[in-house]
Amino acid sequence: MSIATPTYASRTSVTLDAVGALLLAVLWIAPLAFALWAAFHTPQGALSFDLFAPVTLDNFRTAWAGAPWPRYFLNTTMLVTVILAGQLFFCTLAGYAFARFHFPGSDLLFMLILLQLFILPEVLIVENYAMVSRLGLFDSILGIGAPYMASAFGIFLLRQAFKGVPRELEEAARVEGCGWTGVLWRVYIPAAKPVYLAYALVSIATHWNNFLWPLIVTNSNESRPLTVGLSLFAAPESGVNIAVISAATLFTIAPLLVAFLIFQRQFIQAFLRAGIR
Amino acid sequence: MTSPAPFIVLTGITKSWGDSQGVAGIDLTIARGDFVVLLGPSGCGKSTTLRLIAGLETPNTGRVLIDGKDVTALPPAHRGLSMVFQSYALFPHLSVAENIIFGLRVRGLPKAERSERLEKALSLTGLKGYEDRKPSALSGGQRQRVALARAIVAGHPLCLMDEPLSNLDAKLRHEVRQEIRQLQQELGMTVVYVTHDQTEAMGMADRIVLMKNGLIEQQGPPEDLYEQPATAFAASFVGSPPMALLPAGKLPPALSAGLADGLIGVRPEALRLAGAGEAGLPARVTGVEFLGGETLVYLDSAAGALIAKLPGRPAVVRGSDVQITWSASDRHLFEAASGKRISNPAGLSAPAERKTGRMV
Ligand SMILES: Nc1ncnc2c1ncn2[C@@H]1O[C@H](COP(=O)(O)OP(=O)(O)O)[C@@H](O)[C@H]1O
Ligand SMILES: [Mg+2]
Repeated sequence: MSIATPTYASRTSVTLDAVGALLLAVLWIAPLAFALWAAFHTPQGALSFDLFAPVTLDNFRTAWAGAPWPRYFLNTTMLVTVILAGQLFFCTLAGYAFARFHFPGSDLLFMLILLQLFILPEVLIVENYAMVSRLGLFDSILGIGAPYMASAFGIFLLRQAFKGVPRELEEAARVEGCGWTGVLWRVYIPAAKPVYLAYALVSIATHWNNFLWPLIVTNSNESRPLTVGLSLFAAPESGVNIAVISAATLFTIAPLLVAFLIFQRQFIQAFLRAGIR
Repeated sequence: MTSPAPFIVLTGITKSWGDSQGVAGIDLTIARGDFVVLLGPSGCGKSTTLRLIAGLETPNTGRVLIDGKDVTALPPAHRGLSMVFQSYALFPHLSVAENIIFGLRVRGLPKAERSERLEKALSLTGLKGYEDRKPSALSGGQRQRVALARAIVAGHPLCLMDEPLSNLDAKLRHEVRQEIRQLQQELGMTVVYVTHDQTEAMGMADRIVLMKNGLIEQQGPPEDLYEQPATAFAASFVGSPPMALLPAGKLPPALSAGLADGLIGVRPEALRLAGAGEAGLPARVTGVEFLGGETLVYLDSAAGALIAKLPGRPAVVRGSDVQITWSASDRHLFEAASGKRISNPAGLSAPAERKTGRMV
């Protein structure tokens, strides 16, 4: 049976796959599509789904004037940057230690870190709240970011990536004069570049969208990220309508959407490569 | 070969990992400028010995001296040596040029000197024009050259190589063998080279250190190992086709050298067909391989299988019965139990000793 003449069965299964994928895509894109529709129409037009309803940019003007968005953008940008920087730093060092150094209890310690993956972050909210308050980090960017920096997922991912690097590369670097920091910097980190890229993209997307924890740990506009700002803005008591909320939603997710469109290829490739290892 | 100030000295080196024995006790002296080959079957501890010299392993006991300095506790970077790995260990994310000057960069050499040395290493290894390629875009032979270039660029007096040719095809291996030897002599480097291939060792070495089970079996110039094997193991490992080792008890009395037990070793080229009236070992021809100038004759006898290398094209065919013999001066005698060479058996005409006192 050649490839040129697929059987009836294989043809139907391909069709089913395509239909399923399409269905999922439509379901996934629907809220976004609605937001896009609503943001450019009056509230009446948005809900009537009248294709010829007049298009307007008023919603964006109203939304932008309704809250300190530049501050929220700044806060979110600082937040994802601080978290990513902390994660890269801690996970790199921990991953390297678990991949290449043997110290008493290293296996047990690694197991404990892996166990962390089984704990829902929400379970820890009260404990984290108490800890962040004790550290005097309440209502600060660092306070929102701190609980996520020593990421178990990141440590695991980088440990696996480092373990996949041939030993002889490290030995060659050591013969050529590298100490352990030099080996890490010149051999392991460059070798794990695709993993870093994948991890960074996931981390940024996750923390750009994170809501519950920042909501609890912030109470001023100086530290609120976009998600919390948007929820305050859209709260029923503020009296804004669905069209304005849609407009605000669109510009809060815009940077992420644009980044995804730019990095789409790297995003997918990074995941494939990280998975193959 | 022992010059007044030896370059590398290993004394009482042992290395094991739990039950796994790497090196069981090694004393070794290497002279400056020598090309020394560590030879032996797989798992005999060659790589471990090399890695102990490199500082990639720390010995359980014993000391490592390089250039008169005790380096036992020093990391590889402080031993002033370079290394070529079996897999070449090129950094995949760096270009050829960056791979070669990796160590110079780590050591913070100024840019001008880096590029000057790079140029020299590139031309010595014939890699000009490949500077900007990534290792993945190179052939096996080219990668091997990059590894060589990286090893010579720093100008270290000592270079360690662990089976650097084992990933190349046979023809290339032969070429590169000569090139490495030439580079070593041009640059006056001391090279410690690991291989399990005895032809490679014979062709390249100033001295061969033959190892077995984590110990040195015999060391010396290639011709010594060939002509005066210290043990039956050395006799069978060096030389191709291997030396025939025949139990004396199973040989006709005229050929048994008066030994009741023990092994009699004869090189394939020392075997010949017995003339009329001459004492011989009856054997059956099991195969004939004509090589042009000579012929390999595979034989089966009461004392076991053996291979004879006969000149020209002898008149033997598969299945025929022949009488095989050798001169007393060409035979090597070994003790049965220990495999040790019987260098001068009392009352016997021993094989002529070429040079005495060079065996270990
Ligand atoms: N890191 C290690 N851990 C445990 N055993 C090892 C290690 N390195 C080498 N060995 C053992 O030491 C012995 C000699 O190894 P090696 O020096 O690599 O042999 P070769 O002569 O083939 O290069 C082998 O039996 C090997 O299993
Ligand atoms: Mg080896």
